[in-house]
Amino acid sequence: MSKVASLFHPKRLNLSGFTNIRVIRDNNKRMAVEQNEPERQALRYMIRNTSLPGRVRAQAQLQLSQMHAYTRPTQVKNRCVASGHARSVIRDFRLNRYQFRMQALAGHLPGVKKASW
Amino acid sequence: MSQTRLLDLVKTQCRIFSLNFNPQRLRLGNKVLRQRLRGPALASWYPKQVVSFQDLQNTYKPLGLTTFDEAEDDREEAIQIAKLRGKGRPKKKRTAAESRSAKKKK
Repeated sequence: MSKVASLFHPKRLNLSGFTNIRVIRDNNKRMAVEQNEPERQALRYMIRNTSLPGRVRAQAQLQLSQMHAYTRPTQVKNRCVASGHARSVIRDFRLNRYQFRMQALAGHLPGVKKASW
Repeated sequence: MSQTRLLDLVKTQCRIFSLNFNPQRLRLGNKVLRQRLRGPALASWYPKQVVSFQDLQNTYKPLGLTTFDEAEDDREEAIQIAKLRGKGRPKKKRTAAESRSAKKKK
């Protein structure tokens, strides 16, 4: 398998909201992970199954290690949906702390209220 | 209860609940098969575009309605201006010989 990341570029970008190259790249990785997950899991199963012959397991290891990096779920990074920022993203809202504060103060997040006591 | 009886019980239990019967406790990797697929959850992180302006244009064109895409218009205008200033994109090199000669000129 070739190691070119452009393999994972979609024909047409189908993201709405904030997009920059990092968001697009991360989205490409997510799509690749979703597509290749059954294959990866099958290989992982073969590797961990001690009842299979050693040769088969070694081949499975090799095949798994030669899959593209984009198909690896650890490559995926949660980024802010509104700004593309990758740090301090609040998972429940998919927002960066700053975007979360701005949108919460503007009343765009139902049920979120500024605490005061 | 005897050992064989207990084993039979576990075997039946595994059959009913479709579990893997593995009394020797071999490492068969079944924990990988038991894991849920994370792909769909990961893939749905970013909001997806359901319909684009181009889709609207394509649906309304056959009806004889005209549409105006302001962003696209701006883009084309900017390209025209850049071209006039001599800052447009270079011509696409179609053959290997063309691209080589382009490099030499520098």
